[in-house]
Amino acid sequence: MADVPETTPTHRTLPLPDEAAVIARAATGDRTAFAQLMEHYQRACYGLAWRLLSDPDQAADATQDAFIHAYRAIGSYRGGIFRSWLLRITANASYDILRRAQRRPSSPLPDPEEGAPELPDLGAVNPEREATKGELYRHLEVALKRLPVDQRTAVVLCDVYGMDYNEVAAMTQSALGTVKSRIHRGRLRLRELMSEHRELFTG
Amino acid sequence: MLISNHPDDERLSALASRESDPATDAALTAHVSSCVRCTGLVDELGALRAALAELPDLAPHRPLRLLPPVDDAPASAADRLGGWVRRFFAPVIASGAALALVGTIGTAAPALSGMAAGGAAPSADERVTLQEVEPQASAADVVGAPAAATAGPAEGATADSAERASPLSTEAAAAAEGDSDPSAFDYADADDRLLGPNAERSPWPMVLFAGVALMVGALLLRWILVPRVG
Repeated sequence: MADVPETTPTHRTLPLPDEAAVIARAATGDRTAFAQLMEHYQRACYGLAWRLLSDPDQAADATQDAFIHAYRAIGSYRGGIFRSWLLRITANASYDILRRAQRRPSSPLPDPEEGAPELPDLGAVNPEREATKGELYRHLEVALKRLPVDQRTAVVLCDVYGMDYNEVAAMTQSALGTVKSRIHRGRLRLRELMSEHRELFTG
Repeated sequence: MLISNHPDDERLSALASRESDPATDAALTAHVSSCVRCTGLVDELGALRAALAELPDLAPHRPLRLLPPVDDAPASAADRLGGWVRRFFAPVIASGAALALVGTIGTAAPALSGMAAGGAAPSADERVTLQEVEPQASAADVVGAPAAATAGPAEGATADSAERASPLSTEAAAAAEGDSDPSAFDYADADDRLLGPNAERSPWPMVLFAGVALMVGALLLRWILVPRVG
């Protein structure tokens, strides 16, 4: 079996083969079609929510909220990449929960070493290479959780999920310059946190 | 080549994500291309970004409900409007009923107090008012003679009663000149005759009307917009 190219995000959810038709059915109120879409993309949504919130229960709640928002809004979906549309809704739902949690500072900060969901089985194609990747991802997840919330939010939305600076600024209700600064400081801090495992991503 | 005067790391991060404009950052690019430390940092940040962009999707730790309850179906514009009407129906009806009740009490109170006071002896003020109004009214309506033009002041009433009497006197004078039909009764002026031109109209009937209108409007909107079952 041919090796997967380096540039392809191997463990990201790809579109359904007949996605446009399923979306069209869901938009007319077909609940089975909507459930099919959510089932297909739930890992993508949960992954984003978990990375923003660092808490499995809050991430599940945010994903559930996102599904409800998506159900109400799918009638007004106007094309584009459905995954990106759904992830934007999930990011907004997660950010709402994050803001509510920040207003209650009594809740304890999660331990960055705990609560990480199980990574998908990465060893199917090239066991040795994928084992290294798995190690890199685990270290990256822990390092991301150690970033200050503002920097983590900006880095996750921009670098992990490819949103542009303007989108992130609108979502976090921050100035564009502030968002850029958070991303750059977040990346530099992440580099420091990953300094012991540099060979995993520079090799 | 190792250079001590390095650019700010945040600018190098911007360069790593290719957000810098090469035209304006020519000096930065020139520096990076000739500086081992900065080249290493930019490469490392670029590799870090690539690794972040590959992070996998994650399985939820508990099963998620993929669909909201059936009641939460996508709503059309008419449904949403119906929802608003349904939501505000009870408060609006209650407000209308309260207004109507207040208006009814306000409208009926003077009549009721008048009925209650009907059996009792009139107070001193009421006696004065009756004395002032009755002779003038009878003079104007029944006699309609030029003598009535001076009836008010001639009765020896107060200055205030003279003022109230003046429109009656003027009308009586006009009637005497034959400008109007003596048999026609001017209902618009009837209130003025009884209450005087400066008396304020009672707001309570309007409150009663507003309350009833509010209730009727709410009922109509609900009947039109809220779908009926069965």
